[in-house]
Amino acid sequence: MFFLYNLERRVTLHPSYFGKNMHELVTGKLLKDVEGTCTGSYYIISIMDTFDISEGRILPGSGLAEFTVGYRAVVWRPFKGETVDAVVVSVNQHGFFAEAGPLRIFVSTHLIPQDIKWDPNATPPQFTNNEDTTIEVGTHVRIKILGTRAEVGELWAIGSIKEDYLGYAPFLP
Amino acid sequence: MSDPRDYNDAESEEEDDFNPAPADMSDDDAKGDPEADEDDDDHHRQTTKGSSPAHKRPAAADHDEDEDEDDEDDAANNGDGGGDDDEDEDEEEEDEEDEIQGHRRKRRRDKRNAFFDIEAEVDDEDEAEDDEEAEAENEGFIEQEELGDFGDAGRLESDRRHRELDLQRDRMNHEDLQKEAESFVRKYGHRRHARGMGDTTIVPQRLLLPSVDDPSIWGVRCKEGKEREVVYSITKRIHERMGTKDELGITAAFERGGPNSIYKGIVYIEAYRQTDILQALDGMLNVYPRSKIILVDIKEMPDLLRVQKTPTLEPGAWVRLKRPMKYAGDLAQVQDITENGLDVKVRFIPRLDYGVRDDTISGNTADGKRKRPIMGPRPPQKLFSEVEARKRNPRILTGNPQTNAWSFGNDYFEGGFQVKDIKIQHLTVKDVNPSLEEVTRFTSGGEDGVENIDLKSLAASLKDSNATTTYLPNDVVEVYEGEQKGVVGKATQVQADIVTLQVTEGELVGQTIDVPTKGLRKRFQLGDHVKVIGGSRYRDELGMVVKISEDRVTLLTDQTNTEITVFSKDLREASDIAGQGSLGQYSLLDLVQLDPTTVGCIVKVDRESLVVLDQNGDTRQVMPSQIANKLPKRKLAVAADRTGSEIRPDDVVKEYGGMGRQGKIVHIHRSYVFCHTHQTTENAGIFVSRVSSVSTISAKGGRINAASSGPDLDSMNPAKKLNPTGRNDMPPPRQVFGRDKLIGQTVTIRKGGWKGLLGRVKDTTDTHARVELHTKSKVISVPKTDLMVRDSVSGREIKNYESRRPGGPNGTPARPQERAAPDWNSGSRTPVVTSSARTPAWKTPSGGIGGRTPAWGRGGDGGRTPAWADGSRTVNPYDGSRTAYGSGGRTPAWSSGGSKTPAHDYGSKTPAYGGSNGDSWGSKTPYGASAATPGASGSDSWGYTPGASGSSNAYDAPTPGASMLGAPTPGALNAPTPGAYNAPTPGAPTPGGGWQSGWGTESAPTPAAAAPTPAASGSGYYGAPTPGAYAADTPGPRYTDDD
Repeated sequence: MFFLYNLERRVTLHPSYFGKNMHELVTGKLLKDVEGTCTGSYYIISIMDTFDISEGRILPGSGLAEFTVGYRAVVWRPFKGETVDAVVVSVNQHGFFAEAGPLRIFVSTHLIPQDIKWDPNATPPQFTNNEDTTIEVGTHVRIKILGTRAEVGELWAIGSIKEDYLGYAPFLP
Repeated sequence: MSDPRDYNDAESEEEDDFNPAPADMSDDDAKGDPEADEDDDDHHRQTTKGSSPAHKRPAAADHDEDEDEDDEDDAANNGDGGGDDDEDEDEEEEDEEDEIQGHRRKRRRDKRNAFFDIEAEVDDEDEAEDDEEAEAENEGFIEQEELGDFGDAGRLESDRRHRELDLQRDRMNHEDLQKEAESFVRKYGHRRHARGMGDTTIVPQRLLLPSVDDPSIWGVRCKEGKEREVVYSITKRIHERMGTKDELGITAAFERGGPNSIYKGIVYIEAYRQTDILQALDGMLNVYPRSKIILVDIKEMPDLLRVQKTPTLEPGAWVRLKRPMKYAGDLAQVQDITENGLDVKVRFIPRLDYGVRDDTISGNTADGKRKRPIMGPRPPQKLFSEVEARKRNPRILTGNPQTNAWSFGNDYFEGGFQVKDIKIQHLTVKDVNPSLEEVTRFTSGGEDGVENIDLKSLAASLKDSNATTTYLPNDVVEVYEGEQKGVVGKATQVQADIVTLQVTEGELVGQTIDVPTKGLRKRFQLGDHVKVIGGSRYRDELGMVVKISEDRVTLLTDQTNTEITVFSKDLREASDIAGQGSLGQYSLLDLVQLDPTTVGCIVKVDRESLVVLDQNGDTRQVMPSQIANKLPKRKLAVAADRTGSEIRPDDVVKEYGGMGRQGKIVHIHRSYVFCHTHQTTENAGIFVSRVSSVSTISAKGGRINAASSGPDLDSMNPAKKLNPTGRNDMPPPRQVFGRDKLIGQTVTIRKGGWKGLLGRVKDTTDTHARVELHTKSKVISVPKTDLMVRDSVSGREIKNYESRRPGGPNGTPARPQERAAPDWNSGSRTPVVTSSARTPAWKTPSGGIGGRTPAWGRGGDGGRTPAWADGSRTVNPYDGSRTAYGSGGRTPAWSSGGSKTPAHDYGSKTPAYGGSNGDSWGSKTPYGASAATPGASGSDSWGYTPGASGSSNAYDAPTPGASMLGAPTPGALNAPTPGAYNAPTPGAPTPGGGWQSGWGTESAPTPAAAAPTPAASGSGYYGAPTPGAYAADTPGPRYTDDD
């Protein structure tokens, strides 16, 4: 789910940058540092604006200036039980991996309907029920997230398509 | 006799007629129920006006009288007690009465009932009805009687009362008789009963305990394991001799043998005298009555018979072997249990060596004694192989290939498993704890090869062993057995095997209940992040639950993305921050040194071993002890991919050719990259490739083939800000000033689809030019590098066109673009092109670049060489010998980057350049060239090179001096030092400094690249053993730090 979230971060600036456009530099550095990262349970998708840049404080010892910057960011946090649309990126006999934006989701065979079976002989290998559903690399699927796990710098989830209205989604917008 | 009989008859008739009323009345009277009395009074008053005073007397007196008369009656009854018929009849009557009024009488008998108003009232209605009925019936009589005079009435009244009394007495008498009969039944009937059923609910158990009057029990020694047989033969003997004159004097015999019993080897016999035992056991096998017979103390007798629940062995159960020693601890499966319950037929995986050591085992020593079997390392568990057996010892092999049943020597094999009868005492039956792994071996031996583990039976045998299951507070548990089945809660407290639950679901929500662990299992939900804790081989794996069925949980492991199935008891909720699997100091994805020439990346961490993917792409399982050391992760390691672009850890690269795998670089080690991909789960997604066979897809942080991923030293360096002109942070491109001279020029296109066409430049950007073609009225955009400027009139090529960089030696037009793109850092790190641009010679004309400390420039090729190559190699012990090779190999690689040999650098490029520029350096060309030559060949005198440069540059003075005094040492030391640190300093730009450091660096690579030279000189002056290595050493760490 997407949220507009107020966050705060400390940004340090090298003394050589001290000058009149320091705030721009701080903002720039913030964007560079923060945008697109994952902090534990959510991804920071985009920074909308910074609304509060504190006065710089010189850090003893290094001479760097530290600014506390409050900013507003669009964050995306995948929840347990949330349904997301994703694109299959790899398929193997244990299940398939799909990506919903930055989030990787694994769907195990246990969580794929019984009638959708692994077909290793197809090219490329796929999950199919020999009717309307074929899941191969590049397929758009709708997945319900069952669990998430945070790793350093990334999130990771397992999902299920074993419910109504989940699975193969041929016409995703 | 007839009289009482008549009387009785008459009375019985009367009773039949008037049964309800008199009975009631008598009851009332007997109880002295005041209310009943009142009732009576009421209707007596109605019927008999001016009621008798007798009726008014207190109930108590009435009662007394009753009792008195009772006695008389009793006596009378006793008198005619002989009349059984009467009694029977009476009893029958009484029974009838009972049936009718049973409940009422019961209640009435309790005097206290009188005080319960409610009961009385409720019953009054009935009573009243009854009374009314009786009244109605009686009415006729009484009315008639009433017709007589009062005295008569009084007589009648007293008569009636007497009759009542009689009736009552009679009834009570009957009651007594009935009671008596009942008591008889209770006494004797019960006894009969007890004898039949052995019911002990009434007789207290302590009364059943043996006393001194009972026969004693003696324990008689017998052969161990034959206890039951002895008992059988005693039974047999009892039957044989029954009824004969030498009937056995013993009353019972039993045994408490068993594999683990402490009573084994003893038969217990119950008899009055010891001699009876001796007689009974005389001549019996396996029992030794002549040895000491133990008299069991009376107190201990019950203990002897206490039933202990013995673990039941059923076919399919898992046990562990204790004997034969070879198999001690091995898991076995029960196939059958012999009738006597002493032997068990088990199957297990044999440990055979097919007679390899048989010679020593069966051979007899000289003194005729059998040699003890040498207990060497026991052979590994392996299914029986007919082929092996045939090869080694065909003579003792017999069997049937169809059924796959073989006998080999004295052993018997079925389907690869050894089958053997083993005594129960040689088996461990409790706490077997078979692990899934072990059990899997039993099932994988199936003909179809399909694993079909009966997890249920396994679970059962696991559950028997109550051990290992641990519950901790906050575990979510579920009761699956017993009354509270289905209750889900959170454990709040665990004491021994009692878990206190806070119920979280269902009706009992919020309550706290205690449940024994036996009926508990942990509960998980899909998607939970769990850790394997139990005794399974997956211990310490972390994963997410993907399937739950009963108490089996399938999870997807974090490390390897494989699915494993374990029991829920072996799981527990993992904290969200998953610690990566590690074993000792080694953890997943670490780079480790396996042997001097092999490194590998850890792709799997097991409990005791690691799986390593080595640089050749092979996986091997190693113990931590087999690992030489762990290579620290070098975040700033760098290499060049096949296109010469720089690659670093965390860059995404793709294999060129081969499998075309794409992945993120985890490690770079020399010419190997270890990459991680999500495409496959094999080897934890790690694959290895050569640096030269990958190409960059995307660099971390969008770095275009350049920018360091570390702190941007460049921008952090205030010094660089001071003198913007000299800085190359963003070297002001020359063409920035004014209009691009290219505009309006006639050009030809050198490359691409428009190759060869003539046109005119209409407009330019930094990199591209819009060219209006002459041939076709069309304006196309062409990279400036692809343009060749021509004289608009003659069509002659204008080589030194101004808008271009003061060209490369061959006027490579690639300049401007490269010029724009790389910043200072990148320059230093992409030596391929810029190295030439940064040679000191080169520097002069293009001040900016040259000023950038040749050390750095050289750092690209020369400076880099020892730094990178040797830096990394010094760490490796085996590298000392390799230094020459390493740097030698690398140096040209680097400096040649664009296939430029060192010779090319100094020999051709520099002079060519110098020549073309015609600057003072030109004079140095020969030196330069020769400098390179000896460097490369190493045959020339060391002094020559510095001499050459020294002659042209005052700054070189120290260098030759150094080289003369200790050629390699200062050279090596100087090289990086000024190089590295001069670079950013403002002083650096001076050509002298630049040259000095340039020289320094140059000398650094020289020994490295061609170790012989410094080696020769070094040994010449100092006899330094390996200056090459030394020289390499010194800068090494410096640069490593830098990295």
